[in-house]
Amino acid sequence: MSEPSRTTPTTAAPPTPPTGADFILRAHEVHKTYRMGRVDVPVLKGASMDVRQGEWIAVLGASGCGKSTLLHLLGDLDQSDPGRGEIFFEGEPINRRTRSQRNRYRNRTVGFVFQFYHLLPELNVLENTFIPALVGLTRFSYHAKRPEIHRRAEALLQSFGLGDRLKHRPQELSGGERQRVAIARALMNQPRVLLADEPTGNLDENTGGEILDLLAEQHRAGLTIVMVTHDRSIAGRADRIVELSRGRVITID
Amino acid sequence: MYHVVLTNRYLTSRVIPLIAVGAVALCAALVMIVVSVMSGFLDMVRDSGRTLMGDVVIELAVEGIPYYEDLIERIEALDESEAASPLVDSFGMLQMPYPQGDNKQSEYVQFWGIEPESFARVTGFADTLYWRELDDHERRTAPVWDLRRQLTPQVLKDGLALRDSRSDRPGIVLGMHVSKANERMPEGGYHPMGDGYWWMPAFDVTLVTIPSRTVGGQVEPESFIFPVVNEFVSGVFQIDDVRVKIPLEVGQRMLHLDEAELVDPDDPFTVIGADPARVSKILIRAADGVSPDRLRDRVIRLYDEWVMEYAERDDLFVMPPAREFGLSIRTWEQVQARFIGPVEKERDLMRILFSIVYVVCAALVLTIFWAIVHEKTRDIGILRSVGCSRIGISLIFLRYGLVIGVLGSVVGLILAFLIVRNVNTIHDAIGRDAPVWSWLTAFGFAVVSLMMTILAARRERMLPIVLWSLGTIAMFGLGVILLLHRGTLVWDPTVYYFDAIPNTLDVPNAIVTMIGAIVFSVLGAFIPAAKAADTDPVEALRYE
Ligand SMILES: Nc1ncnc2c1ncn2[C@@H]1O[C@H](COP(=O)(O)OP(=O)(O)OP(=O)(O)O)[C@@H](O)[C@H]1O
Ligand SMILES: [Mg+2]
Repeated sequence: MSEPSRTTPTTAAPPTPPTGADFILRAHEVHKTYRMGRVDVPVLKGASMDVRQGEWIAVLGASGCGKSTLLHLLGDLDQSDPGRGEIFFEGEPINRRTRSQRNRYRNRTVGFVFQFYHLLPELNVLENTFIPALVGLTRFSYHAKRPEIHRRAEALLQSFGLGDRLKHRPQELSGGERQRVAIARALMNQPRVLLADEPTGNLDENTGGEILDLLAEQHRAGLTIVMVTHDRSIAGRADRIVELSRGRVITID
Repeated sequence: MYHVVLTNRYLTSRVIPLIAVGAVALCAALVMIVVSVMSGFLDMVRDSGRTLMGDVVIELAVEGIPYYEDLIERIEALDESEAASPLVDSFGMLQMPYPQGDNKQSEYVQFWGIEPESFARVTGFADTLYWRELDDHERRTAPVWDLRRQLTPQVLKDGLALRDSRSDRPGIVLGMHVSKANERMPEGGYHPMGDGYWWMPAFDVTLVTIPSRTVGGQVEPESFIFPVVNEFVSGVFQIDDVRVKIPLEVGQRMLHLDEAELVDPDDPFTVIGADPARVSKILIRAADGVSPDRLRDRVIRLYDEWVMEYAERDDLFVMPPAREFGLSIRTWEQVQARFIGPVEKERDLMRILFSIVYVVCAALVLTIFWAIVHEKTRDIGILRSVGCSRIGISLIFLRYGLVIGVLGSVVGLILAFLIVRNVNTIHDAIGRDAPVWSWLTAFGFAVVSLMMTILAARRERMLPIVLWSLGTIAMFGLGVILLLHRGTLVWDPTVYYFDAIPNTLDVPNAIVTMIGAIVFSVLGAFIPAAKAADTDPVEALRYE
């Protein structure tokens, strides 16, 4: 567990070639520039970060510093500037894959949890939870797998205390309940990494605490979690904290 | 599989899709109704033109066509033709039986001398005769004043034969509007003035004309007294107003186109040969599936051969004229060009209007879907974040548009069918005063919604107050309109010369419209969905 780079206190680790084995997810010198009209706004300027198998890592940083951007890059929701930095999953660069492989990566390998829950308003709680499991199924294979899918979604929701809300619409739930549905959805396909973007950002302290307890429980069960937050006390729940500032990951705690 | 789940949910959990189905249905129905009624009118005009003179006309006005019987026999032998019929035509004055007293009124007429049997085979003559026995169904629906209730089958027979069976004299058939005593009733149908007294088939009329062929010198008018045997309605006012039909032989005699002896100009007592009878026109009907143009070309060839053949005979004094000498062989459209022209222009104009209606409806459907799908941008971002492919997401909306398009166009078809079928009933209802129950009901609803407004006001709920007071105003307004409504016929049969508004749905057009509605629904949903699927998932997620 003790890496040489961990002891380097002030700046990010210099580029090291991907080693594979230990790191499940790794950002390597990634740059991300947004174009606002005629001006380029660089947000990430060579951010590097390693996520180990099974760890809970918190990315801390001021509002607007690019935390969400970094998380989106890790989950392949967005791409870094072409040719400037790479994201590796288990040693493989993720941006060099085909479209369908990338869809599969988002569907199976990572699970996203957003600050604003992002549930589909027309679907009920159960359907919102199992929608990722339907991706890639044909009508026929769906009928074969249907009982299994329903069972898993129900079990997840049950364990999150939502067993009696299966047929409710998201609008009928409180913020905390919605976020639990969102987490259940992220876990539906048993992802390798959970990417959580300020999962408690919209919740009061108690409810937020409950959400964090839930994440902790998943973590104990072996789930790798990358959590973004601007709140130092929330970041404290993680195994390890990295800080994003001026477009780089500057401290490694 | 998620497409199915999502499409179903999107379709069933909101009112918007219902509104979209309604909008598509209304647009489709609008197009179908407008096109059906308008093209129905145009077809009626065209059909009536064709009913009048068959498909192709050979014409040589003053001089006339000799040996026409032989020519007709050869034309009828053609595969392309169904039947041919000779006629003479000219203008004259018709002395009418009205008014009472000695000073009878005369009407200007265009008379056709026809051979009734072959004429009926070439044109729709038989169907245009108005005075005939009613069948059982018509008897039930016809108004009590309808004279046709009292007729015997003989009237129609006499009309068809152009012969008065009582006096055994050649008869005349008048266009319905030749007699100014014939009145068109608001219910449709005709009724002679004087409560049926001036029913033309009960009278004689005198036709006066100038012969077309005279030997020079003073021209003596010819006249003939005919019993009126029937009247016809072609549906085209310009024709029903002036045309009358008499037997061919009588017409030929009056116009001096009958067979005569040819005398030496220097010595009027020496007969040098026979001048054959002539006709001014030959009407030809095309065989089934043969276009008028094809028939015309065939007849032209036949005619030229026929003239050549006669030119080689040396036993004749009179030769059939070559086509260069004023003889024309034209399709009925060419003959009626002046009449058809405006109709065709109108059809073009209608096409432009139709396409505007189409474009407006298509734009409406596109906009509705655009708005619906645009609102779903964030959903699309969410779906992308859980790994759905662009194609999969586009499929959701493809399905969505397809279902709405299909439902909408089917509902539209039903709506259009019901309205077009009952267009005359609806029109009649507008033409009458509103029944008492209709405005009483409207006022009843007005009172009810006024009470609901007061109730809502007591509970201080804004939306119900607004809605119910609008309802009150609308219902009260409707009641007032119904109460004040005095029947106004939009399509007054005494002014327009078609009895009824066309009430058959234009099926090919309905099919095209349905396909169009579906295509535009699908495009309207698919294009914005494809666009949304292409935007960055992160961007889409930011969408509020
Ligand atoms: N699509 C975009 N176009 C232009 N600028 C953008 C875009 N997305 C993000 N930015 C900018 O990039 C910067 C980083 O955004 P990001 O959302 O990653 O910040 P954050 O650290 O997550 O902030 P917060 O804590 O408020 O969520 C911000 O200054 C933002 O304005
Ligand atoms: Mg953020």
